[in-house]
Amino acid sequence: MKTGLNRYRLAIFVGILVLIVLLAAMAANLPSQLRELSRAAEDNLQWSITQIDTEFANLDAAISRQIATQSLPEENIRLRVDIALSRLAIINSGRSAEIFGDSEEARLLIEPINDFADAAIALSDAPGPLAGDALSEMQQLVSDVRPLVRDIALLGVRLGAEQAESRRTQFANQLTRTGGIAMALLVLMAILMIVLDRLLRRADHRDAELSASTKQLASTVTASLDAIVTANESGEIIDFNTSAERVFGWKRDEIVGLTMEDTFIPHRMRDAHHNGMKRYLETGTPRVVDAGRVELAALRKSGEEFPVELNITTTQSGTDTIFIAYIRDISERKINEQKLIDARDRAERADKAKSQFLTVMSHEMRTPLNGILGVLDLLKTTSLSEEQGRYAKIATSSSEVLLEHVNEALDITRIENGRLQLTFQDFDLADLMRGLMDVFVPLAQEKNLTCTLEIDATMRQRFHGDSGRIRQILTNLIGNAIKFTDEGGVHLHVSGINGLKSSSLRFEVRDTGIGIPKDKQDQVFDDFVALANSSGRQSRGDGLGLAISRRIARAMDGDVTLTKSEDTGSTFTLTLSTLSAVPEENTKSEPSDVAPPPVQPRNVLIVEDNSINRSVLNGMLTAMGHDVVEAVNGVECLKKADETVFDVIFMDIGMPVMDGIEATQRLRADRGPNAQTQIIGLTAHGREEFREQAVAAGMNRFHTKPIRLDALRSIFIELASGTPSRLDAEKFPEALTEMIDLLGHAKVRAVADTFFAELKTLIADLGDNAAHSDKTLLAEAVHKAKGAASLLGQTELQAKLGDLEHEARSDALGDLTAWADALVSSAQKAEQSIAKAIPPDSGTT
Amino acid sequence: MAKAIYTHACALIFALFLGLSAEVEAQSATALEISGAGADAGPVYLELADLDALPQVTFETSTIWTDGTVTFSGVPLKALLGELSGRNGVVEMVALNDYKVDMPLDRLEDGAPIVATRLNGESMSVRDKGPYWVVFPYDSDTKYQTETTYAWSIWQLNRLKVVD
Repeated sequence: MKTGLNRYRLAIFVGILVLIVLLAAMAANLPSQLRELSRAAEDNLQWSITQIDTEFANLDAAISRQIATQSLPEENIRLRVDIALSRLAIINSGRSAEIFGDSEEARLLIEPINDFADAAIALSDAPGPLAGDALSEMQQLVSDVRPLVRDIALLGVRLGAEQAESRRTQFANQLTRTGGIAMALLVLMAILMIVLDRLLRRADHRDAELSASTKQLASTVTASLDAIVTANESGEIIDFNTSAERVFGWKRDEIVGLTMEDTFIPHRMRDAHHNGMKRYLETGTPRVVDAGRVELAALRKSGEEFPVELNITTTQSGTDTIFIAYIRDISERKINEQKLIDARDRAERADKAKSQFLTVMSHEMRTPLNGILGVLDLLKTTSLSEEQGRYAKIATSSSEVLLEHVNEALDITRIENGRLQLTFQDFDLADLMRGLMDVFVPLAQEKNLTCTLEIDATMRQRFHGDSGRIRQILTNLIGNAIKFTDEGGVHLHVSGINGLKSSSLRFEVRDTGIGIPKDKQDQVFDDFVALANSSGRQSRGDGLGLAISRRIARAMDGDVTLTKSEDTGSTFTLTLSTLSAVPEENTKSEPSDVAPPPVQPRNVLIVEDNSINRSVLNGMLTAMGHDVVEAVNGVECLKKADETVFDVIFMDIGMPVMDGIEATQRLRADRGPNAQTQIIGLTAHGREEFREQAVAAGMNRFHTKPIRLDALRSIFIELASGTPSRLDAEKFPEALTEMIDLLGHAKVRAVADTFFAELKTLIADLGDNAAHSDKTLLAEAVHKAKGAASLLGQTELQAKLGDLEHEARSDALGDLTAWADALVSSAQKAEQSIAKAIPPDSGTT
Repeated sequence: MAKAIYTHACALIFALFLGLSAEVEAQSATALEISGAGADAGPVYLELADLDALPQVTFETSTIWTDGTVTFSGVPLKALLGELSGRNGVVEMVALNDYKVDMPLDRLEDGAPIVATRLNGESMSVRDKGPYWVVFPYDSDTKYQTETTYAWSIWQLNRLKVVD
C-alpha cells in the first residue's frame, strides 16, 4: 500500500519534471521565433521587389520623354538606367535571393532579366552620348524586359507571402504545442493536488484514529485490574497505572523516573533481573519477556514481599525498546492454593494411614489367628467328645471366616498400592465359561434355581488376557447372584466386539433375586458393605467381593457395573478389553509321575520369634512324629544350624535381630552342614509381598501364616517324593482357594467329588478302548473335564486333559490305554491336593 | 566637437555656393544635399571627399539586401547633421529615385545610423546602391531589425532635410 503510493507519487513528480523541461524548451524557443516574426525584413524586401517594376516603369517613361522632347541631360538618363539596374541586384543577392531560392519559375524569369542587365550596361557604358539610336535601343530593351520584371515582382510577392504564411503557421503550431504542454502540466498539477489532498485527509483520519485509540488505551490501562508498569531500556519506570499504585503502594508521581530494580523487585532477584535485561538488550533472546505468565515475587513499598503473576511484553518506540509488564497480585490465590494442597496432603496422609492400618491390622490379626487355628487343628487330633468336637468345628469355622476377612482387607490394600499383578495368557473364552457353569449349575440346582449360559457366536474364540482374574470376578458375581436369589435363576450372557488388535468383552450376570434398593445401588461397590437381604441372612464374602472385583476389572481397563436392579432382579455387567489371541500353540507338559512315599520322621528347625506360633508349630510337627529344634531369630538359627544337620527349616520372614531373608542367605552362602537344607518361608503378610525376596534368598517354599496341619502334611509328603525344590506355586492353587473363599469347603468338596467321580468314569471308559469309537464325543467329555480341572486349580491334570482333547480332535489319537494310565496318576495327585485343601471333615455350612 | 563640424560644414557650403551654383539644375548623383528648416539654413552639397573629412564609423553586419557579412564605413548621420540633429522634428531623407522617408531626430544615435560611403572598403556606384547608403548595425541589436529601421535604411541617398 505504502510503496504503491510512493510509486504513484514518483510517477507524478517525474511527469511534472518532464513537462516543465519540455515547456521550458518550447518557451525558450518562442521568443526567438517571435522576434523572427516581428522583424520586418520580409515586408521591406517585398516592397523593394515591387519597386523594381516601378523603377522600370519610370525608366521607360523617362526614355520615351527624352526621345520625344530631348529635355533631360544625357547624364540624367544614365542615372535612371543605373538606378533601375541597381534594383535588379536585389533579385540576385541577399534575402530576396532566398525568397526565390530554387524556384524554377524564378530562374526562368531571372536569366533573361540578367541578360537584359548585361545588354543595358554594355549600351550605357558604350562611348558616346546615350541618344538617338542608342536611346531607342535602350527603350526597346527596357520595354522588352518590363513584363519579365513585372512577373518577377509578382512572383516575389507571392513566394514571400507563402513563406511568411508558413512561418506563421509554424509559430502557431509551436504555440499550440506549448499551450498543450502547459495544459498537461496544469492537469498533472491538479492530480498532484488531489493526491496531496487525499493524503492529507488520510493522515488526518489516522491522526484521529490514533488519538482515539490512544485515549482508549489510556483508559484501559487506568481501569485495568492488573498492575501495568511500563519501563524503558535502562529499567526506568515511565508509566504506572492505578492498579499498580494499589498493588505496590507507590504513587505514580513518586515512582516514575525510578528504576524497577530500586523499587519493587525483591533484593535477592535484582542481580538476575539486571543480567536478564542486559542479556535481552544485547542478544534479543527473551527468557521472561514474551514467555507468557510467569510466577515471581515482588516488593511492596512497605518492604513486604508477595507472589505475583507476571507477563512481560515489549514494544518498539523509535529505536528504544519499551517493556510493558502486566502484574497480578496472587498472594490470596497462593494462600488458597496452599490451603488446598494442605488439605489434599492431609487427605492423602489419612488414606495412606488407613492402608497402613489395614495392612498392619491384618498382619497383627493373622498372628493370633495362626495360634488359634493351629491349636484348634491340634485339638481335633485329640480324643474329643461329640459336643467338644462340634465346638471345635464351630471355632475353626469362625476363625476361618475371620481369616478370610483379614485376607480380603489385605487384597484391597494390595490393589490400592498397585501391587496387583496380572498374568496375561491366551485362553478360550467358551472353555472358561463352561468351566464356570460346571461349578455353578450343581450349586444352583441345590437351591432349585436354573443357571444358564449364552455366548454370542462371535465370542467363541481365543483371547489374550488374565483368564484367572476374569474367572475370579465372574465367580464372585455369579456366586452372589445365586446367593441372593431364592427362585428363578441366574443367566450369564457373554457378548462383545472383536477388533483387529483388541476386543471388547461384555459379561452380563442376570438374576431374578430380590434386587437392590435404588438408594443402596451406589454403595454395593464400596468397601465393607454388606446389604442385609429380606431373609436376614448374611453370608460372608460379600463384604469386599464386589469392591475387589471392580478394582481388578479396572486394573484390566474394564469395569463392573450394576446395570439394572429392580424388584425382579439385578444385572451386574463386567466389561473388559482383551487383546486378540495369537494362534493356539500346543504345549505338552511332562507329567511327573511319582508315587507318594510314606511320611518319615525328620529333623526340623523352627525359627520363629512369636512364642505361641513357635509352640503351636512345634506341637503340630511333634504330633506328626518329627524331631523339632527351636530358634527365636536368625542369629540363633545360624548357631543351631552350625551344630546340627536339619532336613527342614521353617523360617519366619519378619524377626528381630536377624530376619529370615538374611538368615537364609547366610545359610546358603556358608556352605555349612545346612547349605542344601529345604527352607520353608513363613510370613503373616500377604501372599505376594515377600515371594520374590524369598526366592532370591534361596528359600525352597513359601507359606503364609497360619500354616495348617494339612499343609504341613503335604509339605512332608512332597519332600519325601523329592518333588520340585523350587518355589513355584502356592500349595493350594489360587483358583481353588478362591472357590473355597466363595462357596465354603463343603460345596467345593461336593463339586470336587462330582468331578472326580466323572473323571474316574472317563478314565475307565478310556481303558475300555472300544467304548470310544466316536472321537467327537470323547473330545467333548475330555473338554468338560478339563474345564472343571482348571476351575479347581489342578493345572497338571488340566494340561494332560488338554493334550488328550487336542489329540482326539486332530485324528492323531494314540493308545487310549496309555492315556488312561497317565491320567490315573494325575487324577490321584489332584485328589490328594483337593483333599489337603478341603479335609473331608472340615466342611462347614 | 559637433559645433566645430557644423562650422566646418557651413564653410564648405559657402564655397560650394560660390563655385557650383551653375550646376544646380542638373541632379547630381555624387553630391549629398543637406538642408535645414527655416530661411537661414540653405542647402549644402557635400561630395565624397567632404564626407571622408568628417568623423568615420565602421562596422560589420549582414543586411537583408546583401550576401553574407559586409563592412560598412561612413559618417554617422547624427554627426553629419550636427546642431540640426538637436532639434525636435524629423530628418527627411530622399533617394535618387525620389523615395522619401522621415526619421525622427530623437531616434538618431551616436553610432547609428551612418551614411555609409564605403562597402568593404570600396566606394559604391549607383548600380551598387551607392554612392551613399544609410545603414544600421543590424546584427548588433534586434531593435535594428524592425520594419521601421529597414524603411529608414535608404540607399542612393541624395538629399537630407531637417524638418520641424
